[in-house]
Amino acid sequence: MRIMALPSQLCREDEVRLPHLLPPHPRVGPPRMEEEETYLQLYLNQCAAQDDFIPPGLPLLSPVVPEDVYISDSCNPETAFNSHLEEVKETSGDFSSVDLSFLPDELTQENKDQTVIRSKHEIEENCKTQSLQRRLPLSSQQDVGLGLHSSSSSESHAPLPPGGANSVHPSEKSNSLSLASITPMTPMTPLSECSGIVPQLQNIVSTANLACKLDLKKIALHAKNAEYNPKRFAAVIMRIREPRTTALIFSSGKMVCTGAKSEEQSRLAARKYARVVQKLGFPARFLDFKIQNMVGSCDVRFPIRLEGLVLTHQQFSSYEPELFPGLIYRMVKPRIVLLIFVSGKVVLTGAKERSEIYEAFENIYPILKGFKKA
Amino acid sequence: MNTTAASPMSTATSSSGRSAGKSVSFAAELQSMMFSLGDARRPLHETAVLVEDVVHTQLINLLQQAAEVSQLRGARVISAEDLLFLMRKDKKKLRRLLKYMFFRDYKSKIVKGIDDDDLLEDKSGGSNNSNKRQKIAQDFFNSIDQTGELLAMFEDDEIDDVKQERMERAERQTRIMDSAQYAEFCESRQLSFSKKASKFRDWLDCSSMEIKPNVIAMEILAYLAYETVAQLVDLALLVRQDMVTKAGDPFSHAISATFIQYHNSAESTAACGVEAHSNAIQPCHIREAIRRYGHKIGPLSPFTSAYRRNGMAFLAC
Repeated sequence: MRIMALPSQLCREDEVRLPHLLPPHPRVGPPRMEEEETYLQLYLNQCAAQDDFIPPGLPLLSPVVPEDVYISDSCNPETAFNSHLEEVKETSGDFSSVDLSFLPDELTQENKDQTVIRSKHEIEENCKTQSLQRRLPLSSQQDVGLGLHSSSSSESHAPLPPGGANSVHPSEKSNSLSLASITPMTPMTPLSECSGIVPQLQNIVSTANLACKLDLKKIALHAKNAEYNPKRFAAVIMRIREPRTTALIFSSGKMVCTGAKSEEQSRLAARKYARVVQKLGFPARFLDFKIQNMVGSCDVRFPIRLEGLVLTHQQFSSYEPELFPGLIYRMVKPRIVLLIFVSGKVVLTGAKERSEIYEAFENIYPILKGFKKA
Repeated sequence: MNTTAASPMSTATSSSGRSAGKSVSFAAELQSMMFSLGDARRPLHETAVLVEDVVHTQLINLLQQAAEVSQLRGARVISAEDLLFLMRKDKKKLRRLLKYMFFRDYKSKIVKGIDDDDLLEDKSGGSNNSNKRQKIAQDFFNSIDQTGELLAMFEDDEIDDVKQERMERAERQTRIMDSAQYAEFCESRQLSFSKKASKFRDWLDCSSMEIKPNVIAMEILAYLAYETVAQLVDLALLVRQDMVTKAGDPFSHAISATFIQYHNSAESTAACGVEAHSNAIQPCHIREAIRRYGHKIGPLSPFTSAYRRNGMAFLAC
């Protein structure tokens, strides 16, 4: 059922996204659906082996990886996806300053060279490599234009929903793609303004439904690292060490999981909690996993004159230094709240998807540069 | 107004509240606060002492009036409602206070979402803390609002002129600073009475009162204290600007009589004489500002504002 449903959803998203991309991609439209389907099926078959159920809309697959990277990737993308997103060791050379933790291990290792090669095709010398890394997350602005050829691979990437983009990896066809044909699509902000800074995710709040009534007292008694104080709060507070998270488990079977640093980790942690509950004898399942909030932070590395910012962006910002040292900026598109501090640290919150955080930061960066305190 | 007294605002209650050798003094913090509000880099100590006195007096009077209101409605503590009631006449200031309260709610909501522990604590706390202050204000206005004016303030989105002016002044001030000075400025801006809540409580010294303010009332009082300082600085800057006679200004010869008296009195000349050299606000500016603020002008002035009956004009409300 779900497999049938997905391609049309993907197609729709693709059409929605096209107007933003320039130049327009020639091969667009329905004919790609079959290809998408096969790739989807491929991928989903892998997933089925891992999961109890197929995630709808492929939400939590590895975070956006650019088509660029995958096109040039001759390796098996399946392996890339099977892995969890662990912290990646820093890549050498140009990328040392950029944190690539959102990419799976194998990927960054193998694609170091390829990204270097590819970067030569880029327009801007300075930030091209960084912009690449930076644009990795901008799935919504990703070029469909890549891979005109058999890059049905790239095409299948483009229409995927932002958070779960590129989950479909055509392992077979990527080899034929040449780098020269990749025309990078410029995102909204011109390359010269790219920040080269990637916000780090600090906290992810997610919810899941275990779909069975729970006896909290029993859980609290038998599980280690669980606390339950019915007079104070009607839920069990459980903690696990890997990934380091905390969960609130309610008697209805609903659960809130906080503290993870990536979507995969949050999911994994939630599953672990479900497993714990299962082992205690409850018929727990793992349904409706949803990320409710994501918090990211980064540092622009220059002091910011907040008085100027609050004056020019009055409708969006509030700044009461007596109450809170940071300026609270309510961005409309995407709907993210940013806390901007004089030191140059920026905290972004309210995102449901990683791309929103990246997009918000890219939107604010040129504005912040304008108020740089020399 | 008694021009020769050290403070034009001193009343019996004020001086008895602050016994000789009072340990709690906000003079240093006030100097910092005044700098952040537009005063010179190093505000004068005398000015700070004077401002402290003024603020203290006003707050004590405000508290007493709030206590009376509280008694009227038979409550055991002074709460936010009493203070809101006292401020009901001045829409602009009330709006500013409401905005402050909402911002406090909003900020705690956001910070909670970011910090893991906070989230859990809040959930464990059980009560729905978000928008607590907004609810209080809204419920209260629902009960007292006859004409719908007060409730309209919740939807109202007018620009607060005074706040705008302050923002612009801060912007101008910071534009010319280098990053070290700016860092200092930011730190000063973060100072407030609410940060030093316990010291503030001691300074206010409510021990002699029967009815004491609760937590939210103390928050509001801290805010009102800060507002008073801000108003004083705003007005003093205006006065100082007036004092400088500009060439070609048609009204330079039309300043008030009492103002000239200030100018001529020995005490002020010495102080104001150095005005041209140091940019700091002088005590004479503050006194003149208060005098002008309390001055009853207009045909209906004897009949305005109920809380002027004891001769005190509150700067913050």
